[in-house]
Amino acid sequence: MTTNLLRLSITTLAFAFASFASVSAADSDNPKDALESTIHELLDVLHADNGSLSFTDKREQIVSILDESFSFDVIIQRALGRNWAKLDSDQKRQVTLLITDLVLKTYTRELQNGPRPTLSFSEPEALSKSKIEIDSKVKVNGSDVNLTYRLANIKDRGWQVYDVLVENVSMVSNYRKQFDEHFQKKTAQDLIELLRNKLNKVHS
Amino acid sequence: MISHIRVAAATASILALVASVSLQAQDFIDADDLMEIDDLLDDETSNETIADPFEDINRAIFGFNNAVYKNVFQPFTRQYVRIVPKEPRKGLSNFFDNLGYPIRLTGNVLQFKFGRASQETGRFLVNTTAGLAGFMDAAKEFENLNPPKEDIGQALGVWGVKHGFYIVLPFAGPTSLRDFVGRLGGRVVDPIPEPWSQLDESEDRLDLQIVDTVNDLPEIIDLYNSITDSAIDPYIAVRDGYTQLRAGKVKE
Repeated sequence: MTTNLLRLSITTLAFAFASFASVSAADSDNPKDALESTIHELLDVLHADNGSLSFTDKREQIVSILDESFSFDVIIQRALGRNWAKLDSDQKRQVTLLITDLVLKTYTRELQNGPRPTLSFSEPEALSKSKIEIDSKVKVNGSDVNLTYRLANIKDRGWQVYDVLVENVSMVSNYRKQFDEHFQKKTAQDLIELLRNKLNKVHS
Repeated sequence: MISHIRVAAATASILALVASVSLQAQDFIDADDLMEIDDLLDDETSNETIADPFEDINRAIFGFNNAVYKNVFQPFTRQYVRIVPKEPRKGLSNFFDNLGYPIRLTGNVLQFKFGRASQETGRFLVNTTAGLAGFMDAAKEFENLNPPKEDIGQALGVWGVKHGFYIVLPFAGPTSLRDFVGRLGGRVVDPIPEPWSQLDESEDRLDLQIVDTVNDLPEIIDLYNSITDSAIDPYIAVRDGYTQLRAGKVKE
């Protein structure tokens, strides 16, 4: 009885310290390192074949890499804001896919065609208990571009990017204003048509 | 037996402590909450808006500029990059950047940022001498000689002057009434003022201004294409981009 109780206590303590250690490990699993690794992986894929493969060929790979650190559903729903409710479930699915492709296609085209940029990331700054901001500098062709990533500690997902600021310009806010303008005069179906046409144009 | 109870009690205390540490370390947010919380409204810079009473005229000029950028500037830029190697282009860019010192100095002084004004002066002196008349950015090696770039429109913003309204200038693109006035102020101190004001005075200055503009195009044109190609409404994307960018500068 005594031995059992002692063993139980030791086991419980061991478990407790193991849990504590795993929590500490999760904390030390710096969101900056995770984000940096995602962006480097993306650049590896974009520059792997000297630009001989198209975006369509690499789409699945690009999306699966970015999914590690970016929550596109959150980004797009935040960008649509109150207009999200004007879309039915099928339109929500289509708009999410089309915008993701359009943005990835246009911006990866620029990254893929130019020389590989050098990156530097600053330490995260807390915005609130569950949100942080990571500044980074992208050096390409001798010019510096400031990119800021905003991340939230999302339940069951961990630290995920929910907005990107280019030279202090919030992409989510920029798209929000465009969607607001669109929905003043046009419909969700018009938006889907517009996105399809734009995507075809970028593909050509 | 009592000692065993003590061990068990100690274990329970440690478990409670670990649980509390875990809770503190895991400040999660639900994805659904993140989508619904409209905290964009708390972000002053992102939410900055601008009056656009002349939107129809501005959209027409934006359309004209867009056609010029895509059909004239872009093909020209491709040839320019092919003919002029990267290093001379960078050198020219540094040269014109160095000439912008009086505008940046005035922007700093008008905001009472005397520390940054002296950094700008140091940068100008280093680049003009060690940087061979500004063609090399020798000052970039010194952390204290790379202050953020300030201008007069920004200084007016810091004084509390609002944008007024949005203006799209032919060829030059977006500005606001406030920033346009700032540009006019900049002409007083700029060694290479706006070309249209100097046509009668010096054709050399016009030539320099054109070289400055052309030389910067390769850096701008790709980004411009990405912004407009990925936009739902390119006019609104550029207008908001300009407004947020300037709000960020004023906030600095």
